[in-house]
Amino acid sequence: MPGADGPPSDAELLRRHVAGDGEAFGELFRRHRDRLWAVALRTVGDPEEAGDAIQDAMISAFRRAGDFRGDSAVTTWLHRIVVNACLDRLRRKAARPAVSAGDEQAFEALVAHDSDPAKTTDTRLDVNAALQILPPQQRAALLVVDMLGFSVADAAIILDTSQGTVKSRCARARARLLPHVAHLRGNRSASESVSPAQGGDA
Amino acid sequence: MRRQTGHLDTDVLAEFRAGLITGRRRRAIAAHLTGCTRCTAADRQLAELSALLAAIPAPVMPDGVAQRLDAALAAEVEHKQEAERAVAHHSRNRRRPPRPARRPTLQLVMTRVLVPAAALVVLAAGGYGLSLIGGQSSSSSSATAGSAAEPAAASAAPSAAQANGLNAPSASGAAAYPSFQKSAALGLVPNGTDFLPATLKSQLEAALRAPAASRSAPHPSEPLGACVLRLSSGVRPGTLKLVESARYQGRPAIVIIVSSASGYVAWVVTVGWVAPGCSATSAGVLAVATLPGISAS
Repeated sequence: MPGADGPPSDAELLRRHVAGDGEAFGELFRRHRDRLWAVALRTVGDPEEAGDAIQDAMISAFRRAGDFRGDSAVTTWLHRIVVNACLDRLRRKAARPAVSAGDEQAFEALVAHDSDPAKTTDTRLDVNAALQILPPQQRAALLVVDMLGFSVADAAIILDTSQGTVKSRCARARARLLPHVAHLRGNRSASESVSPAQGGDA
Repeated sequence: MRRQTGHLDTDVLAEFRAGLITGRRRRAIAAHLTGCTRCTAADRQLAELSALLAAIPAPVMPDGVAQRLDAALAAEVEHKQEAERAVAHHSRNRRRPPRPARRPTLQLVMTRVLVPAAALVVLAAGGYGLSLIGGQSSSSSSATAGSAAEPAAASAAPSAAQANGLNAPSASGAAAYPSFQKSAALGLVPNGTDFLPATLKSQLEAALRAPAASRSAPHPSEPLGACVLRLSSGVRPGTLKLVESARYQGRPAIVIIVSSASGYVAWVVTVGWVAPGCSATSAGVLAVATLPGISAS
């Protein structure tokens, strides 16, 4: 059993948890919680809901750890549970929408609010706000692939759908987001450069 | 899907980039891109969008959420271990642990807390012997201080279900909420403070230090008790330290403080929050703060 040297692997921690180790799951979850938080926050778009969703997900993962079969990475499995919890919440919340998906007017209000001069350097706010105009499924796909860098294959597992669907959700999300982000970035020509990860086009 | 102008739709470009378009159509688009600056620019923007998204750093989980998760997890671990102990001699290969008995436990505690409405609430405060709530003429206040600090053996589903009656035997599931073990009714104690975001922590610490004697008797309120229980259910040991009506940024609010493993967790909620459905995340929670342990002074 590894573990004496170096930190135990995710799979090892999960195995220990299933075997009754009371510390293992906490260690595993803490290891990934910022990334999981990012998914939750951006998927549901609201810190309170995100807090609920990630707690639901954590408890669910804790209880269902025995079902993990090891046919994907533990992180993929954890992300899948978080995304599911978030989409569940959004579905339930759909009856009382605050900012309905695609409501451009509400979006403009959000942006106007967020882009006062003191904040113009903060691209995050703008993009996070812009993300909220996307339908949840598209948003989740874009998050998992573009923001978190999962492969399309892993994203398909996380989103419980086919790779083709992941690709088309991402494509639609990018096309829909582009005018808004381009518009936002046009407001501040200085921050055009996103050079580090630039490229990929030929 | 081409526009009348002959240029490519952003949708089409995005599908093209994602590899969703194949064969002749793909070749036609590629050919168009070589000769059209406008579509090439749009294509590049799509690439930049993905790069922009990838470059945004992940938000860090706020302390309040992290603490809440830690508390919920600790409770879950406790439930699991309790459940495992309970069924250990029946079977070593259970497929899934019983669900933790949150609802039944809440029922159980509520009957204990709220039924003897005339009694005074005396809450044991960890090691300090503060009794902040009620506190009028209680006799048993200091006696509870020690036992309340014991780690709570959260009741597993079977015992809690049985213990749903008024006079549940205290042998098994009784210690789920040690803070309420000896308590009766839960009410609001007025606090004149106007809590403000910038000074919240120091004001909360001051409230914790305030002598219990300065507080008047509480007015029992059943929904409030239920809500406080729900709020503190994920926090261990979760000993209730203080429930007071106050103000937050000038508006009426309720301040709730319970002890946690590393100190205290405090919530500031609106008066309207006290209603069915109240939870640590429902609307009406104005602020959550974690306080380090305060040494008795």
